Amino acid sequence: MASVEVGEVRLPLSEAIYISLQNVRRRFARVAITTASVTLGIAFFVSLMMMASFQAQVGGAGVQPYMYWLLFISLLVCGVGITNSMLIAVAERYKEIGTYKCLGALDRHILEMFLIEAILVGGIGGLAGYVIGLVAAVIYAVVNPSVGLQSALIALVKPNPAVPLAGPLPVAAGLLVLGVGIAVLLSLIATLYPAYYAARLNPAEALRYEI
Amino acid sequence: MALRYEYTVETEDLAKYYKMGTYIVKALDGVNLKIRRGEYVSIMGPSGAGKTTLFNMIGGLDRPTRGKVYIDEVDISKLDAYELAWLRARKIGYIFQTFNLIPVLTALENVMLPMIFAGVRREERIRKARELLERVGLGDRLYHRPTELSGGQQQRVAIARALANDPAIVLADEPTGNLDLQTGLRIVQLLKELNVERGVTVITATHDLKMIDVSDRIVWIRDGMIERVEERAAIELGAEELQL
Repeated sequence: MASVEVGEVRLPLSEAIYISLQNVRRRFARVAITTASVTLGIAFFVSLMMMASFQAQVGGAGVQPYMYWLLFISLLVCGVGITNSMLIAVAERYKEIGTYKCLGALDRHILEMFLIEAILVGGIGGLAGYVIGLVAAVIYAVVNPSVGLQSALIALVKPNPAVPLAGPLPVAAGLLVLGVGIAVLLSLIATLYPAYYAARLNPAEALRYEI
Repeated sequence: MALRYEYTVETEDLAKYYKMGTYIVKALDGVNLKIRRGEYVSIMGPSGAGKTTLFNMIGGLDRPTRGKVYIDEVDISKLDAYELAWLRARKIGYIFQTFNLIPVLTALENVMLPMIFAGVRREERIRKARELLERVGLGDRLYHRPTELSGGQQQRVAIARALANDPAIVLADEPTGNLDLQTGLRIVQLLKELNVERGVTVITATHDLKMIDVSDRIVWIRDGMIERVEERAAIELGAEELQL
């Protein structure tokens, strides 16, 4: 009986990134829904931390312990939202996943494509969330006579040790790094299960699926 | 090049059972089939006869309950996931009823996709994909996405994609099922031309009688078993009668 001389099966990272980018571009409406969930969570996080920093600058209460709890819950809700919308994205693409597998894709290639997409969604959502949060916090400072724009701007360029993890950095920069970082991490964790599920699909079953 | 085996596909007592609640559906029940290199074989039968199940078994997309499938004398049930992926990428080209192109990629990128998995260099991928699309008559549609192409054009892209890695076998599951009569006829002719020109084995699961004229052999299946096998010469007359 003959044996197979098995060659390589591969999906270079650059190609995987290209396909994921095309997925994000061409399925913008779908991706926007997932991104919105990230954006809202991060906007809430950034604005809350900034407002607390402004308060501290003018001698107010600053970051309170209950805020961490609030942030934790809001990010958890946001994570569940991403998982949910990624599960739908996977269901929509059953046939496509089956096709990729027919063309030679391994389970880990499918996983890779979804996780790259998650990083893109997290990055875009985190950035958008940061901008919205920053704008919201500045508006809060302007309309609130006890804070004012002046002290808000000073607070933004000063480090605030009460901000978790990014304490030593100036508030504006620290929250950018932290916000985008949390967004990417959250999006990755939330996508893990849907992506794993997609990767494990049997090609015959995936192809049979009709939407 | 690989050795030339007489039979590209061989099945031995192939069976696939599905459990539906308490009873068992025998989608395939003991199929013995030998397909020679370069043959054009049509698997015909009513819906639910087991055509698609047979397609999935030969294509290494699903595991049989019993029996064996040999592709170029290799028992594919013994392959692991990696070897199976390699087999799908290099040895088999798939064509589907619903075309199954990747919607976010252009025609050219769709044809290049199997070559990426096979590790072909980028310049070579582009050259070959372009050449194949020109061969199927889509030289002016390289940068169109599937939604910008008609059904017949999409199926041509799918045919080009199936041939990208010079497979030994092209498996087509109802390739004309979603096309009108004329378009379907042209797809059937294209498959036959490529079969002759490239010596690639073509296996179609179909109930489209247009396939009869181009097939070297017709395998009729019913209830998961081979009912009869007909050589082309013997059925030509019958086919004419059917089309009237």
